[in-house]
Parts: sequence; structure tokens; C-alpha cells
Amino acid sequence: MASETVAAGHEATDHHAPPPQVAAEVIARELVATTIGASGRFKAWAWILGALSIAGIVALILKFIDQGDDSTKWGYVAAMVSFLLSVAGGAPMVSMAPVVAKANWVRPVTRIASIFSFAGIATVIMLIPLVAILPPLVTEGARRRTVWYIAPDYSPHFWTTLGLVLLLLTGIMLFYSAALPDFASMRDHSTGWRQRLGKRLARGWVGTDVQWRTLRMRIGMFGTFYFLILVFVNFLISTDFGQSLVPGWRDAIFPMYHTVSGFQAGVAAVVIALYFSRKYMKLEKYVHLDAFWSLGRLLFALTLLWIYFFYSSFIVFWYGRSANDIATLELLIKGPMIYAFIGGLVLMWFVPWWILIWNKVRRGTGAMVVGSFIILIGLLLDRIRTFVPAWSVPPERIHEKWLTVIPDTYWPTVFDVLIIVGGISMVAVIVMLMTRVIPVLSVWQVQEFNLLAKPIKYIKGHATLVAKPD
Amino acid sequence: MQQRRELDQVYTNRKLLNGQLDTPKWWLPTVVTLGLIVMIGIAVILVMVNKGLGVTGLARPVYWGLFITTFVFWVGISHAGIMISAILRLTQAEWRRPVTRAAELLTVFSLLTALVFPLIHAGRPWRIAYWIMPYDVARGIYPNIRSPLIMDPVAIGTYLTGSTLFLYIALLPDLGNLRDRTTGWRNAMYTVLSLGWRGNPRQWKMQTVGGILLSALMLPIFVSVHSIVSWDFAIASAVEGWHSTIFAPYFVIGAVHSGVSAVVTMMALMRWLWKWDDFIRPEHFDALARLLIVVATGWLGFTFLELTFALYGQDAPEIALREMQMFQWPWNGLFILFFLTAYAIPVPMWLFKRVRTNIALMFWTSILVNIGMWLERFLIIVPGLARRTPFVYTWEAYRPSPVEWTIFIWSFAWVTFLMLLFSKFFPLVPLFEQKESQVFTDDVMIGRAKVPAIVREAD
Amino acid sequence: MSTQSILGLFQQPEPAADAMDGLKEAGFELGTFDVLTGTPYPEGAFGEHVPQHRLFRYPAFGAIIGFTLSIFLTSVTQLAYPMVTGGKPILSLFAMLIIMYEMTMLSGVIATVVGIVIESRLPNMKPGIYDTRITEGWIGVVVTFDDDSKVADAEGVLNRAGALEIKHA
Repeated sequence: MASETVAAGHEATDHHAPPPQVAAEVIARELVATTIGASGRFKAWAWILGALSIAGIVALILKFIDQGDDSTKWGYVAAMVSFLLSVAGGAPMVSMAPVVAKANWVRPVTRIASIFSFAGIATVIMLIPLVAILPPLVTEGARRRTVWYIAPDYSPHFWTTLGLVLLLLTGIMLFYSAALPDFASMRDHSTGWRQRLGKRLARGWVGTDVQWRTLRMRIGMFGTFYFLILVFVNFLISTDFGQSLVPGWRDAIFPMYHTVSGFQAGVAAVVIALYFSRKYMKLEKYVHLDAFWSLGRLLFALTLLWIYFFYSSFIVFWYGRSANDIATLELLIKGPMIYAFIGGLVLMWFVPWWILIWNKVRRGTGAMVVGSFIILIGLLLDRIRTFVPAWSVPPERIHEKWLTVIPDTYWPTVFDVLIIVGGISMVAVIVMLMTRVIPVLSVWQVQEFNLLAKPIKYIKGHATLVAKPD
Repeated sequence: MQQRRELDQVYTNRKLLNGQLDTPKWWLPTVVTLGLIVMIGIAVILVMVNKGLGVTGLARPVYWGLFITTFVFWVGISHAGIMISAILRLTQAEWRRPVTRAAELLTVFSLLTALVFPLIHAGRPWRIAYWIMPYDVARGIYPNIRSPLIMDPVAIGTYLTGSTLFLYIALLPDLGNLRDRTTGWRNAMYTVLSLGWRGNPRQWKMQTVGGILLSALMLPIFVSVHSIVSWDFAIASAVEGWHSTIFAPYFVIGAVHSGVSAVVTMMALMRWLWKWDDFIRPEHFDALARLLIVVATGWLGFTFLELTFALYGQDAPEIALREMQMFQWPWNGLFILFFLTAYAIPVPMWLFKRVRTNIALMFWTSILVNIGMWLERFLIIVPGLARRTPFVYTWEAYRPSPVEWTIFIWSFAWVTFLMLLFSKFFPLVPLFEQKESQVFTDDVMIGRAKVPAIVREAD
Repeated sequence: MSTQSILGLFQQPEPAADAMDGLKEAGFELGTFDVLTGTPYPEGAFGEHVPQHRLFRYPAFGAIIGFTLSIFLTSVTQLAYPMVTGGKPILSLFAMLIIMYEMTMLSGVIATVVGIVIESRLPNMKPGIYDTRITEGWIGVVVTFDDDSKVADAEGVLNRAGALEIKHA
């Protein structure tokens, strides 16, 4: 089919040939080499971010000592838990895409996505004080409205903690099960502690047929578990740490909204991490623009899905006009957090929509990374506008039929700002440090990518032949 | 999975145009029989218009019954077309090719059918025009755009117009093909309809780029249509079980579930009736069933959320409604049937590859899904109205009358009738897509293994 | 001036691509020759002139028209017949948005379809030289001339590339 009968020499069309292939051993050597050493700038950033993370943890502890008895002051921490869950929990989902859609472009991206699993540690740290402060299901003899109709009093506390820890562990297992061959590469191509680490963690990987088959099975299994646990945790965080703290807020779509905006943030985080590692580790040879193009389309679709979910919920409240519909709209949109709401709407949807709609943008990297940053800022504002007012409702009002007194705007204190900055820094520094431990692109998946996609000449034109194994 | 098979283009033409170039024996008797049922249905509709809605089982407080359920059902089926042809086109799923046309067609005809139901349900259909159209300048009466009953026809009209145009654009190359294969008046007809199609690179490029662009435009419309249909219910805060924020995506994903299942049913029929074994193959059913497992499970998740948050408020009327829906006869019987047919029977079966590639089993399971999805709509719409509420002094259990059942049966005959009529003049499987897939697929040798591969254009 | 065209027919894509190359080398201008196929091939497969198009302008244009019209329609009808329902304001933005959205999309789709037809250079009721075997998998290379002296050149190229048949019109 692919004809080579006539040599090149025809007039060039406006098409360029696909990127050339790289030999497998070069891939292994070069990618393993990226883990070694770090530039001065990298080290400086790592120190700064590390210091900010520690400052955040200290602020969290001080806040707990100071305000541990007043739940109305914990909205920003709740927003951070939700934000970090979205970013660190959503990102690894990108690495599941090839299993589902058999897409080739995603193979070089999977590692960087699954590294975010480790950033789940930041989410767990933030959750610890919050669990201690979350009111039990029954207070003063009355039970608040939750999804735990007849469950024990501390069910939300228990299940959320368990879910989040499980998510962290499953994420790490997902990462590790896909990283085995790369630890073997490090064992074979690296030196010093990295080689020893590779040797220990590769667990005798040599790449037999059975090993590969087990590897694929493990990735599929942990990927499925990861997805299910992620949806479950999103459900718990959004209901128990958000909705059920507000009397009369009954929004069935909210858990889905929370999950989908989490995926949106996850994809945005992956784009950012991919952009920086491609640029500063000189990985242009391996991360083709194709990956950005596909991630851009995904991000664009998720951006539209956000506004759809938002509007679906909003219009029902707006039309409903019952007392609790009005109170809910007042609390979450028109009332104390109107600026955060407008910011979220503009930055989660309107601006990224206008950026990502252009084919030219999605074919490049610069505007894509700007759009991704904007989405993350928008998500933070959106989480603030939902969780902060929810936590501002005093616990004694929890048994009302609907909210009769809308709480005032709760502005962040210095502690809150430190906690927010620290949480974000912690995610960044964890991802940065992980790139020193393992190649930021999966060696075997880049090799597989090259094996399955071959640039060909199709009669006179250029094309790529992508194999689709079962 | 995608076994590549070389098919000669002459053979492809002959086989896929067999509906137009030589009429199968079963065609005429089937069309005549369906035509009779359609006539009976139309007669019954006319009787109902003449006598009034008293001939139906609708009575206070259940005003929305079988007609509205069937309306929602057909709007749901219409989501097959864009799901298959737009989403799968955008994600470059190779297996979509043989089914796109039939799916789009199902969209157009089921929308046409769906529109009939609210129309006749209004009792005096001729009065609907000025509810919807801003034309009554003389009296200064204009539609109330705050009502979802106006948004509905606008959305469905948009979807219908868009789908029809989409269908036509994708039909152009095949009309050119038919023009080349026919003589006489048919040739003249296809010449005009194909607009002078030749198949030069410019025209093909427009097919590809235009197809993707139209898909991207149709997709948001597709989502909006069933969302707006769901708001017919969801914005009414007075009826328990309706006022839920999840309704829009819940209806959309349910529609995809039933629509894609309807495509499976139709594909099996097409394979059997026109003997297209070479084109509609078990691997296509396999791929659709995998898609359906995901869609159905997603839909189940939404069902779970809907139910959870209905009970979440712990309001007595809402709980009473759910109790009635799930535990009181006859609703509980319907509920169990609904759950079994929409999910519990088909989805576990599809987990086995043997079932997914067995066309007869796929046919029957896909029909089960649509029984279940019809019941789902019925259970959403009717119990909320039928529940005994304070201050309502008359209530009767709603029992659809024979008139309603006849019109219900008419709708199925009507859609099939239209499809068969269409198949006499236009190919149900897009020939050029079929041939394109021959051009764009290849096998590569990786070591000793022969792996199916797809040619992707360099960008 | 009478335009004249010839059509060379090939059964395989490779010789047709050779013919296209040959025509280019023989000095025929881009745009005077074209390839006809019964199925889309990857772009540039025949070394053909890749057509430029402005399709993306059409939906934008349509959407702007639809959006403007819909603002007018939704607001003016409500102001002309100010009936309060459900306690909503007469100009209810969130309800209007839904109608505006549908109308914007509708005119975007209609404009795109018009765009596809126009950019495909259709309808074309005098399509010129053609062969029905093209929809059976044959490949046609069509050359158009203003000047008869080049017919022989073109025929030569097509024959050398292995055309199975050459039609004149």
C-alpha cells in the first residue's frame, strides 16, 4: 500500500513530514540521563517551593491550634482539599486514556500524569485537621441531612479519610506498575543511588512475555480501581465537606460537577508539567506537538462540559424559586462570593474557551500553557466560591429547612493565604523532585510509541501509519 | 480487532446499492403492511383530534402520560445519530464507518416522530403555531420564551434542521455514485441531487473538513436538546421527583444509551435484510457493545445520584413518591422490569466477547435496553403526577387507553416505514466511507505479528 | 476561446500519481490539472495541489448573524407582549440565553453547510469530462487547456504514466 516507487522530488505541499523516529537505545539512554543533575535554576525553585510548602504546613498547624474549635473559619482549607484533590487526583486519569481509547499520542505523557499521584500527599495533609473539625452527623440530638441516612455518626470522617488514603496508594501503585520497565532501564543505564534504586524497584524485570502481560493487566486493574476510588472520593468531598453543611442545598449534579472540573484541572496540570519538562529537559524529540494538540482538544471539551454542568444546575435553581432554591443561589452565587464566582466563570470557561477554540493555539504550546494556568486559577476560585460559603454557615443552623441568614463574605487570613500557597507549592515541588528519581517520560512507552507509529510515504504524500494492536 | 479485509469497489457498489438498484423481495410487502399500520394510526389521531383528549386515559392529576413518555423516548433515540457520527468522527474511531448514515437517519426520522406527540397532545394542534412562532403581529401575541415548552421546539427544530443538512452533505458522494449507476429518470434525479459531484481533491477535502466542523457544531446541539427536554420537568418545583439539577446530563446519557442500542438493533436488521455480512461485521457490534457498557454504567451512576439526592433532602413527599415508585404495585413491577431490561440483563451479558460478537444476542439485548429506557421515562413522568397529594379531590390511576396504545404503535411503524422508504432511494451504508476505510487502513508487520494499522494524515 | 479537457483513466493510484508528476514536469500550471477519485485519499497522496479554503469563516459569520437575530427576537417579542409568568422578569436573560444559543448554533450550522457547498464549487451543473468508473475505484486525471497545441503533450504524459484509456471533451 505504501508506495515508494517514485523518489522524492515532487513539489512540496504545505505538509511537513512527521517527526523522525529515534532508536530505542537512544531513547533509554537520553531519558535516563535527564534524571541526573539539575540546573541552578531548578535547585533554586525547588528550595523556594519547598520552603513555601513547609510554611504552609506550619500555618496549618498554627491555625488548628488557634481556630480548631470554630468550623466556620475552615472554608479555605476545605477549598484547598478539593482543589488539590482535583489537580493531583485528576491528572493521573490522563494516563488511563490509552487503555480506553487506544490512543497513541498519550503514551509519552502517561508518566508525567501518574507522577501527580504522589502529590496526593498534599491533599492528605490538608485533610487531617479538616476531618477533626467536620461536625459529626448528629449534633445536639438532631441529624443533619446527608447521604448517610442511617449510618454511624462519624461515617463521613472515616470514609473520606479511607478513600483519600486509598486513592493515594492506588495512584502510587498505578505509577509503580507502569514504571517497572523504567526502573530496569535505570538499573541498566544509570549510576550511583539511582542505579541501586532501579535495581531494587525493578524486581528482576527483564521483559519476558509473561512480565509484559502482567504489567498490562496491572495497569488496567489499578487504572480501573483508581478511577472508581477517584469518583467515590469526589462524591464524598463534594457532599460531606460541601453540600451537607448547608441546610437546603440539594444539588444532585454537584458531585459530577466536582469530578468533571477535577478532570479539567488534572489535564491542565499535565499540560503545564509537560510544557516545562519538554522545554527545560529538551524533550522536543519525544513529546511531539501531537500530544499538545490532543490534550488541547480534551481540555476544550472539558471546558465546555464545565459550563454545561454549571448551567444545568443553575437553571433549575433559578426557575425553581422555592425558598431553598433562592437561598442556595444567594449563598453560592449572588451572595458573599460573587467575585470568586465571576472570576471562576470567566477563568474556568470563558477565557479558556476563547483561547482553546483556535486550531493554531492547540497546535502550539505557548498559549496552551497560558490557558492551563488560567484554568487552574479559575478552579481555585470556583472551589473557594463553593466551599468557603458552605463552611461559613454556623453549625447551629445546620438543622434548618433552608438557609435563612446568608453568612458574610469570609476573607482569607494570613494563615489561609500561606496554606493555599503552601499546598500549591507542595504539589509543584513533589512533581519536580520526582523527575529526579525517574525519567519524566516513560522510556518503554516512548519506545512503544515509536514502534507503533511509523512515518510513511503514502503514494506521494506524507502520513503516519499507526498500528492498533488489540 | 479490526480485521482488515480487501473489498473490491465494484463489489462494494453492487452490494451496498442493492436496495436502490434492485429491490429485495421482502421490501414491497413490508412497506405495504407498515403503510397500513401507519394509515390506521393517522386515522386514530384524526379521531382523537375530532373527539378531544377525552378518548385518552389522561385525567386529573395525570396530564402527561403515554404521549409525553413516547415523545421523550423518541427524542432519546434521536441521540444515536450525532453520538455515532459526530463523537466517533472526532475521536477518529474507524469502526463508525458503516453505521454513520443509518444512525443519522434514525435521528432525523425519530425527531420527526417525536415532534408529533406534543403536537397531538395539545388537543388542538392547529393552535400550537402561535405558541411557538412569533407571527401574530395583528393581535400582538407572542410566544413566552421563559417557558421550556417553547425552548423545546426551538431546540428540536435546530437539531432536526442540522441533522438533515448533515445527512445531506455526507450523502453527496454517494449520490454521485448512484448517478453513475443509474439511467433514465433516476439518473436525472441523482444528477440534480448530487449537485454535480466529481470527486476532486477540493470536494473531498470539504467532505473531511466540513464533516469534522459540522460534527463539532452538532455536538453542542445534541447535548442541548435532551437537556432542554429534561427541563420541561426539572424546573417544575411543585412535582416531586422532577425538580433535580442532575436531570439534564442524566437525560442526555440515558438518551445515548437508548440511541446507541437502537443503532445496534438497526445494524442487525440491516445485516440480515440486505445481507451486508461483509460490511456490518461482528467486530462492529463488539465495538458498539464496549461503548454501551461504558455509557450504560455511566448512566447507572447518574441514576444512583438522582435517587440519592432525591432522598437526601429527607422531605416526606419525596420519600413517599420514591416508596410508591419502587414498592407499590403496579409501579414496583414496572420498576423491576425497568432495572432488569435497562441494565441488569444486557450489561453483564455484554461483558462476554462471545455475546458481543453474536449478532442475534446483540439484537435482542439492544431491544431490551429500549424497553427499559422507555419504562424509565414513564417512571419519571407519571408517578410524580399520580401520587395522592393533599387538596387534590379527584385522582384516578392512569391507564393508557387503546387510542394511546395505537398511536404509540403507530410511531414505531412510522419510523420503520420512513427508513424503508428512504432505503429505496438512498444507500443506508455510506459507500465512500466504506471505501475510505479501505484506503486508510493497512497491516503492519511488527516482528512476526501482523497488526492492523490506520493511516493518519501528517499535520 | 474554447476550453477543452482530456481525462486519463488509471486503475491504480501510483501511475495516476506519476501522471500528476509528469504533468507538473511538462510545465502544466497548477490548477489546470486535477485528480478525480471515488474515495478520499490522504492529502498530497497524488502530489496534487492542496486546495485552500475559507470554510472556517462561514460558521463564525452564521453564528454572529444568528446571535444578533436571536437577541432581537427574544427581547422584542417579550417587550411587545409583556406578560409576567412564574414571577420572572420580562427580559429573563437566563431563559433568553437558551433560545439565543439554539438560534446561534442553527445559523452556524446552516452557514457551514452553505460554506461546504460553495467551497466544494458546487452546485456545478456542467461538471465537464467524467467517467462513471471513477466511482468504481478508477482514478481519473483531468487536464484542461485553453490552447489546443498542448493536448498532445498531455496525452503523451498520461500514456507514459500508463493510462488505460484517454477521453476527450
